[in-house]
Amino acid sequence: MRAIDLQHLSKRLGQREVLNDVSLTIAPGELFFLIGPSGCGKTTLLRHIAGFLVPDRGHIFFDQEEVTMWPPHRRETGMMFQNYALWPHLNVEANVAFGLEERRVPAADIRLRVEEALEQVQLGGLGQRRISELSGGQQQRVALARALVIRPRSLLLDEPLSNLDARLRLEMRLEIRRITKAFGLTAVYVTHDREEALSMADRMAVMKEGRLLQVGSPKDLYQHPKSLEVAAFIGEANCLLGQVLGKTGDPSIYAVETPYGRLLARKTQERWQPRDGQEVHLMLRPEAIRAAMPSPESNGFPGTLVETLYLGASVQYRVLLKDGVMIQWMVQHPRGDLKREGESLWLEVDSRDLLMLEE
Amino acid sequence: MKPFVGGVILIIMILFMGFFFLLPLSGTFRMAFMGPQGGWTLDYLFEIFRNPLYLEGLRNAFIIAIFSTLGCLFLAVPLALIFVRHEFLGKAQFNGLLLVPLILPPFVGALGIQAMLGQAGALNSLLIDWGVLSKDAPIDWLGRGQLIGVIIMNVLHLYPIVYLNLSGSLANIDPQWDDAANSLGCPPFRRFWRITLPLAMPGLYAGCSIAFIWAFTELGVPLIFDVDRVTSVQIFSAIKDLNNNPLPYALVVVLLGLTLLLFFGSRAFFRSDVAGGEGKATLGRPIIPLTGWRGWLATGFFAGVVAIALLPHIGVFLMALSKDWYGTVLPQQWTLEPLERALGHPLTLTAIGNSLRYALLATILDLVLGVAVAWLLVRTKLFGRSLVDGLTMMPLAVPGIVMAFGYLALSRSGQPLDWLIKGEDPLMLLVVAYAMRRLPYVVRSVTAGLQQVHPALEEAAESLGATPIRALWRVTFPLVMPAVIAGGLLAFAFAMLEVSDSMILAQRTIHFPITKAIYTLAAALGDGPSLASALGLWAMLFLTVTFVGTGAILGRKIGALFKV
Repeated sequence: MRAIDLQHLSKRLGQREVLNDVSLTIAPGELFFLIGPSGCGKTTLLRHIAGFLVPDRGHIFFDQEEVTMWPPHRRETGMMFQNYALWPHLNVEANVAFGLEERRVPAADIRLRVEEALEQVQLGGLGQRRISELSGGQQQRVALARALVIRPRSLLLDEPLSNLDARLRLEMRLEIRRITKAFGLTAVYVTHDREEALSMADRMAVMKEGRLLQVGSPKDLYQHPKSLEVAAFIGEANCLLGQVLGKTGDPSIYAVETPYGRLLARKTQERWQPRDGQEVHLMLRPEAIRAAMPSPESNGFPGTLVETLYLGASVQYRVLLKDGVMIQWMVQHPRGDLKREGESLWLEVDSRDLLMLEE
Repeated sequence: MKPFVGGVILIIMILFMGFFFLLPLSGTFRMAFMGPQGGWTLDYLFEIFRNPLYLEGLRNAFIIAIFSTLGCLFLAVPLALIFVRHEFLGKAQFNGLLLVPLILPPFVGALGIQAMLGQAGALNSLLIDWGVLSKDAPIDWLGRGQLIGVIIMNVLHLYPIVYLNLSGSLANIDPQWDDAANSLGCPPFRRFWRITLPLAMPGLYAGCSIAFIWAFTELGVPLIFDVDRVTSVQIFSAIKDLNNNPLPYALVVVLLGLTLLLFFGSRAFFRSDVAGGEGKATLGRPIIPLTGWRGWLATGFFAGVVAIALLPHIGVFLMALSKDWYGTVLPQQWTLEPLERALGHPLTLTAIGNSLRYALLATILDLVLGVAVAWLLVRTKLFGRSLVDGLTMMPLAVPGIVMAFGYLALSRSGQPLDWLIKGEDPLMLLVVAYAMRRLPYVVRSVTAGLQQVHPALEEAAESLGATPIRALWRVTFPLVMPAVIAGGLLAFAFAMLEVSDSMILAQRTIHFPITKAIYTLAAALGDGPSLASALGLWAMLFLTVTFVGTGAILGRKIGALFKV
């Protein structure tokens, strides 16, 4: 278990600034996620922690020790690669034993530990198999065993589940989380799959263009995003435009003028002091919307239903607002009749669920 | 560390290619364009085009190249089309057998085919026995002193190259493209012209250009067939009066110029046509089994081609195992004597020793350079590596006889490369010459191997505690080993049976490599030809073992080495 401390990392590759002043502290034993669109720098950041890249500026500490210039093989980090990077010329056992051999562990111990590691990932008895004889899920477990058998002090995972089918992916999410917690590993996990991040992470960071947009727990990021970008990356987000009218009795709730009338919205960033008349975004999640009887006093707006998508556990509607904006509305566990396309609706949202974000 | 090592390799390669490739070429150019009192002149070049003998040589070279290529197409296109799309009896075996002609140096094959198709050869004897032919008027199938024999031999030797390239291209055509045309109402024959052929063009072009240039500059076959009015042979014969006569140099420049023109001209012409043609099939093509008479037709066609292509080999085989074979279908007396004598004769014995020495050293040189260049190309992003890439591929476009001539010119005493000849021993010169010609194949083989090894495989090793050197040793090295061995075996086999450099650069009998010994023996009276065949048979056996070994290591990928 070790803390990972990144201080002001910057890296330029060719003309592109792939990391831009990234600072981040990951606590011992934490399962930390890096998430963002492709090309955002999340894998680059991971490769800095692994030691395959050296930053142009900035420092990397493992606990109190600076490791910025250390080569990968001294860092004691297990790594899982996107395509597993299992060596095709070695069988399962030899793949797993590799790191122990490099550490000059006695042969007898190697045999025991490899066996134990394979048992842990439920691959006992498959040690003599060739890599090409394994299924995708099994290869994945070998990669995990290979990374864990050296008892690393941290585990780095680069989109490890992206090549698995949906069912296996769900299974492995639990498995990886269980194992990192059982080993007490500090783990950094890169993915672009938001469900994976939300369901597994202790904390996570959203990245874009080499910068950290926001760091926090999954619940934090989902409910209190600092920007529309973060909100949209973490989940489905509707966006309305408006102008600030002024504060209300609640210091975090503001009145906002919109094309659909006056709405009450919550400010998520404490330090931001919006001016009256300022243009702002209003973000609301599809599942935070509910239908109601039209009433001008409520926190709501009218719309016309244009499309219905029935998904069983939920229904997704697309609703056209009067200024031409299309929003998504989701009803969980729908009962009774579905709304019909073309129907006029009145939609309401709790003022705590309508987030006011800086433009 | 990486940029430093890469930089060293870069500099060494540029120096190597500059010294041993560009310098010999430029030396030839200088002689061809320098007037008697210094200064530049185009007189010698014009002289070539005014000399009817040289013009006839060029015309003959073109005729040989054009008809050899057409002949290759005639065999290779149906072979490839049937092979890629259909299943028939013996398909798996034919795939290997079709490539057999590649292992016999064509000029040894020329000896064999004369025994089979010559005036006193097996075919005529058979026809006489059947009473079809009169004993007094045997047919000269090969037309001694004429081009037809050279063309036949070239076709039988070169068709596998066209076949390999074409079938590779065909296999990469996504069947969905064909299906799409089909669903839009395009009948099979039009589909072939509108879809299949344009998409297969890169492979067809690649195969044909190799075959064409090979036939255009081939030296050994016309020599054996006594066709002396061909540019390559004219260059070879002109070597004796090299010192004072600039015309051979000018002839070499013309040959090189035409070759490059053909190479790059046809490339530009075809490439504009096939933009986007280099796809990769996403679906396996359904293989349609041929049944009934169609199946037998396919099997028969393949068997026929293999049988004809093996004629030269059979001829060499029979000659090596017989005594006084003349005017009969099969030899009258069988004997192992030539085979034994081939291993006891002073000329052959030294030749085998020489060839082994030259080839082994050339292979080692190729491997060292090839592995270094491949690493530079695949694993570094160093500025200038594309220059090295281009330089190491250039020997592909330059005919062997041109290079050999350049080496000869520059290794005369007082010339920049004279230190390559110690006393009269051409060891170093031949090693460099052999290595240069096969370097592109080795680089390509190792590069392909290294590209298969994803860098993450090395990184995984490093993250598990292996130093970069250890990762290279334990992960990368074992994985590229097959490619290295394949490239090395190929370089070795080709060096053992290289013709142009061997014929031109080895001057004294004690330095002759195998090929020049075979040529000398074939021209000798008495048991010379049968000794030459015996030596050729040994060479064939040796090469077969080498190729089977390579094939076993590489699986079916060996054909990939002959593709552009």
